[in-house]
Amino acid sequence: MIRKTKSKPKMKRIALVFVAASMCFAGVLPLLPAFGDSQEPDHAHRLGMKVRCMCGGCNDSAGGCYHVGGAFSGPCDTAKGMLKTIDARIAKGDSDDLIVQSFVQEFGQAVLTEPPHNGFAGLAWWIPGLAFAAGLGLVIAVISRWRKRLSPGPALAAAGNAPPVSHELLERARAQAARDTED
Amino acid sequence: MDVFGSFALVLAFICAVYAFVGGIAAIVTRHPLLIKSARQSGIATCCLIFIATFSIEYLFFTDNFASAYVVSHSNRALATFYKIGALWAGQEGSLLFWSFVLAIYVFSVLVAYRNKNGELMPYVGVILAGVQIFFLTLNNFIASPFKALAVPGANGAMEFVARSDGNGLTPLLQYPEMVIHPPHLYSGYTGFTIPFAFALAALLARYPGEKWIHLTRKWTMIAWGFQTAGILLGAHWAYAVLGWGGYWGWDPVENASLLPWLTGTAFLHSVMMQEKRGMMKVWNVWLVFSTFLLCIMGTFLTRSGVVSSVHAFAQSNIGRWFVGFLVVIFLTCLVAYVKNRDYLTSENQLDSVVSRESSFLFNNLVLLVSCVAVLSGTLFPVLSEAVSGSKISVGAPFFNKVNIPLGLFLLFLTGVGPLLAWRKTSAESLKRNFAWPLILGLIGGAALFFAGMREFYALLCFSLCIFVTTTILMEFYRGAKVIRTRSGASFLTSAIELTMRNTRRYGGYIVHMGMVLIFIGLAGAAFTQNVQKEMQQGSSMQIGKYTLVLQGLDTKPEANYTGHRLIVEVFVANKPIMMLYPERREFETNGETGTMVAIYSTLREDLYVVYAGQSPAGSDLPVIHAYLNPLVKWIWFGGVIVVFGTLVALMPNRRAVLVLTGAGAKQTAGETLVRGMTPSVTIREGHD
Repeated sequence: MIRKTKSKPKMKRIALVFVAASMCFAGVLPLLPAFGDSQEPDHAHRLGMKVRCMCGGCNDSAGGCYHVGGAFSGPCDTAKGMLKTIDARIAKGDSDDLIVQSFVQEFGQAVLTEPPHNGFAGLAWWIPGLAFAAGLGLVIAVISRWRKRLSPGPALAAAGNAPPVSHELLERARAQAARDTED
Repeated sequence: MDVFGSFALVLAFICAVYAFVGGIAAIVTRHPLLIKSARQSGIATCCLIFIATFSIEYLFFTDNFASAYVVSHSNRALATFYKIGALWAGQEGSLLFWSFVLAIYVFSVLVAYRNKNGELMPYVGVILAGVQIFFLTLNNFIASPFKALAVPGANGAMEFVARSDGNGLTPLLQYPEMVIHPPHLYSGYTGFTIPFAFALAALLARYPGEKWIHLTRKWTMIAWGFQTAGILLGAHWAYAVLGWGGYWGWDPVENASLLPWLTGTAFLHSVMMQEKRGMMKVWNVWLVFSTFLLCIMGTFLTRSGVVSSVHAFAQSNIGRWFVGFLVVIFLTCLVAYVKNRDYLTSENQLDSVVSRESSFLFNNLVLLVSCVAVLSGTLFPVLSEAVSGSKISVGAPFFNKVNIPLGLFLLFLTGVGPLLAWRKTSAESLKRNFAWPLILGLIGGAALFFAGMREFYALLCFSLCIFVTTTILMEFYRGAKVIRTRSGASFLTSAIELTMRNTRRYGGYIVHMGMVLIFIGLAGAAFTQNVQKEMQQGSSMQIGKYTLVLQGLDTKPEANYTGHRLIVEVFVANKPIMMLYPERREFETNGETGTMVAIYSTLREDLYVVYAGQSPAGSDLPVIHAYLNPLVKWIWFGGVIVVFGTLVALMPNRRAVLVLTGAGAKQTAGETLVRGMTPSVTIREGHD
């Protein structure tokens, strides 16, 4: 009988939360972008994003060059030339890798917008991973060291016939409890 | 006035040296008069830096073109507002501005604590004076902004001259945000000097307890708040002025501002473990040291020319001074740590892996790995050139690939951390706290998936945003419910009361909520569209649901530039909704051009229209580059919320104060309730 009276309001609360959540989603959804509209750049621009505009005046990729401060806010002549080359090589049937490699041969690895995964350049990709692994190892080591320091056995065993707690100890415990529950 | 300013800077240097040397003598001898004189010398240093800074601003306002710095960065037609910003347009002025902002902090600390913390403050004074000496050395001897304009005379000797007008300010800096963004960022960078000075001082003085943490908490939050605001203002400036449709390009200078922010954020979290549990002392001290070192490193990157950046100042030999300073600071920190490491022994242990402490460890891990990734990526081109002889570029794709997963993991921890209890969290508590956020996050993710969203990271980001928002709202709901039950006030009033009773905790939640909004905005970048088209008058272009019609072009001569403006009418479903005026500005004094982007901003998306220039193909027709950037407004709104949350967290707590009430004293509803429980006392609200 008691169970029945308790579960009813609970179910009602769950239903209310669902209704409220659905209304929130319904309200927020129109604010979200049209997901199907995300624009896929054309092949040449997509490849152009992988190589840097080598004009020396900007740090943009050839596919995304906008050249701040230039007479024209858009791809500069160098970027346009690079995109034209890419277009021509795509038309010739060259593979993406071959096209990118042709730029590497011409300008060196500095032309790539992201470091290659092999050789010394691969180190750039390894560093964050290694840092994460080392950090994780450190966190696990710290946690296990802290846990080892704990020795609850004797303390619990002594709790039964422990001497009365001093006023000072009690105050310290209260202060600690206050700090623990503050934030 | 230039001689006056220059003289003030020299005097400031002398005073700083006295504050440093006299301070050390005061620490050794413990002589009260020596302590006082060192402190007063520190205050005098700050006042003299203020005078020098006002002197250079006076030169700008009076169009003193006998000053080389004024000639380089101003002209008569420059608006007065921008003459303020011209101070930090060049290397010399920006270094003086750095000293100025640092002086405000140092002055505030020396005055606020003049009669407090007698054991610690002499050490703090010496460290602050040491930092000031470095910057004053640069201001006086390496990059003085008070150099007079001189040209080679007929006999080859240099002659002082005065020009009738200056070269003008870089067009990119002639935008209102450039007058407020750098001061915010500099206040962030220099503000971290204060926690650094207190941490090093506490270590050197073996100052007992965690008092230095309490003393510096607010200073750290102020610096962090400024750094956050500075970064976001910079992003907004890049978005509104540069005209490339984005707000963050992972440029080395942008990265430099992010690095101390990441370690500063880690410190703000891990410091709670030291305050509450006496843990992580070594970690916290090194986080503060690292944050300060990264601030100096950021300045070094910006000014040395060691990495190529669109933001960087001209290449100069100033970098070696910063390297020297970095080495000196690092060695000082290392020696202080090695000598006093026993002082940093942890007082408590971890009681459970599932606890707030563990979540902070993971939070710190993610923030630090992100910092390492950004730092290594920024410096890798230099490293690769030094090691292999060929420069390897590390651009935006690398930073995005590495940092997006880390950022999402951090967002997840933002939701998890606050719901875990200190020491230990029970399984029951986990279930109670996480069930609803998880369910709603998953439902939200599924709903978005079925609505057509297929971008994995965006989908994950939105789901996590729902998860974190729910955890935050639940925290407010639970706390407000208790207050509401007792006081009978409305939920909103109870939530405000709850926040005011523990400003730090609930201010922190508001900051987290702001970060959620920022993440929502960042996720929108996955759905950006752009179209570029040559336009004739009356022709139109389509982007998303918007139709842009070019109605005309006008040219408007202004005092400092000539503006070429396109008049673009925006239609949605054949209904006119807005006129936009994208503009290109030609600055006659230096021959440079700048863009003024026209933005129609809604919560859903920004219609971002750039007048790219006349077609380079030869037709001379105007070219419009239009972008549709979804959810960008959420980033700026989130930034405002973050700053608001920081301000809330800085406010003192409103606490219940126990007072005895006499017979017949007036009672409120709340008092009556409490009297029912404890008849001899009532609760009065007040501030601590």
